[in-house]
Amino acid sequence: MIRVHNVTKEYMQGQEKIQVLKGVNLQINEGEFVAVMGPSGSGKSTLLQLIGGLDLPTSGDIQINQQSLQEMNEKKRTIFRRRHLGFVFQNYQLLPTLTVEENIAFPIHADGKIRKRNQRSITNLISEVGLKGFEKKRANLLSGGQQQRVAIARALVNHPSVLLADEPTGNLDRTIAEDILRLLLTFNRKHNQTIVMVTHDIFAAGFADRIILFRDGVIEKIISRKDEDYAKYMAHFMA
Amino acid sequence: MSVKYGILTLLSVKQCHGYELKIELDSLLGLKGKINPGQIYTTLDRLIRDGFVTSPGMDGEDRRLYDIHIKGKEELNKWLIEPVAYSNTKEDFFFKWSCARKTNSELEKLMLTQQKELIVKEVMELTKLKTELILEGDERRYLLVTGTLLHLEADLTWINQVENRVG
Ligand SMILES: Nc1ncnc2c1ncn2[C@@H]1O[C@H](COP(=O)(O)OP(=O)(O)OP(=O)(O)O)[C@@H](O)[C@H]1O
Ligand SMILES: [Mg+2]
Repeated sequence: MIRVHNVTKEYMQGQEKIQVLKGVNLQINEGEFVAVMGPSGSGKSTLLQLIGGLDLPTSGDIQINQQSLQEMNEKKRTIFRRRHLGFVFQNYQLLPTLTVEENIAFPIHADGKIRKRNQRSITNLISEVGLKGFEKKRANLLSGGQQQRVAIARALVNHPSVLLADEPTGNLDRTIAEDILRLLLTFNRKHNQTIVMVTHDIFAAGFADRIILFRDGVIEKIISRKDEDYAKYMAHFMA
Repeated sequence: MSVKYGILTLLSVKQCHGYELKIELDSLLGLKGKINPGQIYTTLDRLIRDGFVTSPGMDGEDRRLYDIHIKGKEELNKWLIEPVAYSNTKEDFFFKWSCARKTNSELEKLMLTQQKELIVKEVMELTKLKTELILEGDERRYLLVTGTLLHLEADLTWINQVENRVG
């Protein structure tokens, strides 16, 4: 479970202090698939980075499975992050000269060498993301959609509590994006994988159970299909 | 028309009795809703009269069986490969939009907003349905829903373009 309590985040831009998150409260339950939407610059990626422990809030508290991220020291947080959090980005961020298999194994052993005891779960994961036969191929020789599949497998290799995806389909055309969303959905439903996905695209957001509408550093509304008038709200929000 | 070609399609796969045809037609036509049995029997009569369908007799439970004739197969194949004209299904919408635009720009804006809300709702509900079809592995209905969603995407894009021009 993710708990975000009164979180603010400030950055210095030159001499100026800017407040990017202005008091965010949010709870995401285990097994939920949540989308985050909002205008450019509203703080979506910042929120995701804080939930992922890549950075700390200026004030407030973030807990993953009842464990507070800012109460950990740097080292403990790094270990916690590796073990409990998986990241997927718009630009894949693979290591280009490593193979598919080595990229996926990377979070387990940074040297990219695959130990016997991990081989089976990695092989399974490769087949689940549809990359059987590509194990030894170098990452920079893959298409965008294939690279994102590798990135998803890499993010899931440690069975994280939460998968955080920042516009995972942002660089992909509709058809390839659909494949990636199907993959995320399958992990969510078959393995109860909690997913938080930032997206600009309602056709992607529709895969999620709830949609967080984010504006100007705060949550404007959390939408679910059960709510009356949710479509009206979303249509106005998008305008 | 869809009943005629639906029956020919099903009979080209295997012989069926009337009730079987009804069940399978409902599933084939999917979102279009259920057909009444009377319509199936009158269509069958006409297909027999035109020589497209034959009746080889009764099955073990005394139900009349139907089969496709070679002439029916030809008729079906001819129809299947005929491309479908774009009979502008959104004629109503575009006509209404033209009228709204002529009337006044406030009404036009409102009309587009309302249409957008409807599209968003449709997108959200169809995407939900789509996720269920993915998990059930119902490839045929999944692809149909995907097609509808692509049309909705085009409509939404068009409305956004018009709105940006209205400014
Ligand atoms: N490390 C940083 N230092 C200074 N300012 C930052 C930093 N990271 C983000 N910002 C600022 O914070 C604001 C929110 O950025 P963020 O990346 O979270 O937005 P976003 O909602 O993800 O936008 P987009 O949809 O364009 O990705 C922006 O104004 C950005 O310039
Ligand atoms: Mg961002």
